[in-house]
Amino acid sequence: METNRRIAHLDMDAFYASVELLRYPDLRGRAVVIGGRSVHQPAVQHDGSRTYSRLKDYVGRGVTTTSTYEARALGVFSGMGVMKAAKLAPDAILLPVDFAAYRHYSRLFKAAVASIAPLIEDRGIDEIYIDLSAVPDDSLAIAQRIKQAVVEATGLTCSIGITPNKLLSKICSDLDKPNGITIMAEGDLEQRIWPLPAKKINGIGPKANEKLAALGIVTIADLAAADPTLLQENFGRSFAAWMMNAAHGIENRPIVTESEPKTISRETTFERDMHARRNKAELSEIFTELCAGLAKDLQRKAYVAYTIGIKLRFDDFRIVTRDITLDVAINDASKIRRAAGECLRRAPLDRKLRLLGVKANNLVTIETANAEPTQDQLALGW
Amino acid sequence: MLLFKGLRDQLLTPLQSVSGIVEKRHTLPILSNVLLEKDGEKLTLLATDIEIQITTTTSTSGTEKLGLTVAARKLQDILRSLPETAEISLAFEDKRLQLKAGKSRFNLQTLPADDFPRISATTGTTTQLRITQRQMRRLLAYVQYAMAQQDIRYYLNGLLLVVKGNNLIVVATDGHRLAFTSEALSETFSPIEVILPRKTIIELSRQLDDSDELLNISLTPTQASFTFGKIELISKLIDGKFPDYERVIPQNHTKSIVINRNQLLHSLQRVAILTNEKFRGVRLVLAANSLKILSTNSEQEDAQEEIEIDYSGEPLDVGFNVTYLLDVLNNVTTETVELRLADSNSSALFLLPDNASFKYVVMPMRI
Repeated sequence: METNRRIAHLDMDAFYASVELLRYPDLRGRAVVIGGRSVHQPAVQHDGSRTYSRLKDYVGRGVTTTSTYEARALGVFSGMGVMKAAKLAPDAILLPVDFAAYRHYSRLFKAAVASIAPLIEDRGIDEIYIDLSAVPDDSLAIAQRIKQAVVEATGLTCSIGITPNKLLSKICSDLDKPNGITIMAEGDLEQRIWPLPAKKINGIGPKANEKLAALGIVTIADLAAADPTLLQENFGRSFAAWMMNAAHGIENRPIVTESEPKTISRETTFERDMHARRNKAELSEIFTELCAGLAKDLQRKAYVAYTIGIKLRFDDFRIVTRDITLDVAINDASKIRRAAGECLRRAPLDRKLRLLGVKANNLVTIETANAEPTQDQLALGW
Repeated sequence: MLLFKGLRDQLLTPLQSVSGIVEKRHTLPILSNVLLEKDGEKLTLLATDIEIQITTTTSTSGTEKLGLTVAARKLQDILRSLPETAEISLAFEDKRLQLKAGKSRFNLQTLPADDFPRISATTGTTTQLRITQRQMRRLLAYVQYAMAQQDIRYYLNGLLLVVKGNNLIVVATDGHRLAFTSEALSETFSPIEVILPRKTIIELSRQLDDSDELLNISLTPTQASFTFGKIELISKLIDGKFPDYERVIPQNHTKSIVINRNQLLHSLQRVAILTNEKFRGVRLVLAANSLKILSTNSEQEDAQEEIEIDYSGEPLDVGFNVTYLLDVLNNVTTETVELRLADSNSSALFLLPDNASFKYVVMPMRI
């Protein structure tokens, strides 16, 4: 195992729920589920006290996004239908989702970590990888400092795993949750990692896990001891090799500090299915709005796109996409609308539409686009 | 019920002439199929992508009358992999098509012939032209490379066909360059202009042969049909206004050089290796009795070629996308070409000494 690399994975504890508890401290220690709509906003009484919605009162098709550890103890996890969760914990509190608040706290905790260790790979709203290789001090002391900084900046706790690579750190941050620190020591691979189910490896999804189970491979130890030929026959050469290495704790993907977005898109699912011809005016307006929204996203992030695409989902759930690549990168609404309109011309419009989306890819920053040496092709002047 | 009996190529050849337009992935599954219709001793094959439709016939035996559709590509792949001398039979049994050849058996799913979409021939004013396949093939070869591809200006993704007096004119452009040529017809017609889709043009060029056999072209305001040999190709037209091509063909370019086509082509091909990959610009530097061609790329590498020419006019330094220059030189067949220029912001005009009708206009690049 490579020992000079030291990578931390930091995962905020029940992030959305914890942010809500900062606002509603009276809910601390109770089973709380996030996943409601704005109607589930707590109501403030005359005396200043709040009344909360209960899971059992919920009617709808929503799913839970997070739950507090108390709710998890009752069997309510993220991604569960709210109606189903209500059966398990009818008296649990239901709160609406407030992404703006979560993004705010996300920025705060990332900034706090960056003040201690600047090499950070952003993995989403509530988790990051941190390269600690160049940070002096031993791992435990750094982890404690990071946790302290996060608490000071946000009032929230997190769990940290520190190992020589991202793969193991991701597994380790989950071993002692919440508010834990797990640092990998000699012999930990065999004793702490191997007994875990294979699906704990980030990259072994439900499908691969099912296939592994069919081969009698359940734990990471089983995977480490598996016959390489058998794996290769079932998963192909590169995925098999990757899994084998992963099971032995070998992985060396670098920390990606600056991730350039590959695509930026906007889409909308209609409240009722729309017909391309009968609802032409309405659709056209939505289409133009989507393009304007996409243009705004591009401009805000300072990107221009060479490729514009559209996505259609029909009433039978089939998806059709079309795209067009331009000579000159664009980010203004009318040009995007024109390019997307051209894509639409090439799409079949014989069925009703459920969803319409517009996508920009082949992105470059405006700066790069301007810095590119240009050889300016003149156009025929008609 | 027997649909066909005969030698492999008696079916494979007509199938290949219709299957080229079948889209691999289409939202209407039946469009991956070819329609086979037997009427006694005649078997008709038809394929379409809704924009274009190709029909052809082959002979078979028996008196049956039936029709079905079957996956074009699968049928073609099976036929192609059978020996050339194989005796094939196709029979329709229990909604499936059974293909037998010697000891080989294949059962293919079918979809009903009645469900197959067909482009119906439009009525209305029709212009009927006749031209040899060779003439049309050459007309297309001289201009089709200049058609736009997936351009936002959809009317450029095709070829303009104009009948004017006794002239058949074809024009293609992508907005940066334009190719124009024409051919005299034996009759005089009232003027008509249509834009044929790119796919139609590519399919036509693929299928026309270099013979004196006649091609019948029939044009209506919304449709064009081409009949040659046993093939009938019907195409929808692109609805749009093609740019005024006459305006961009320069009349007063004074600098003129005549160059051996292959020599210029080969020089450009070599210099093209070190052009900027994205823009592909080359500089043409014209001086007394010399044409230099220069390129540089983003890695600071450069190339230079010099061709001796007969020239005594003013010097000129002008940039072009090398692809546009290679395209014309690769697609015309003459020994020499004439290149007319004006200044570094004006187009270049390529002419052919033995073909007064051909014109190719390229706009320059600022390098």
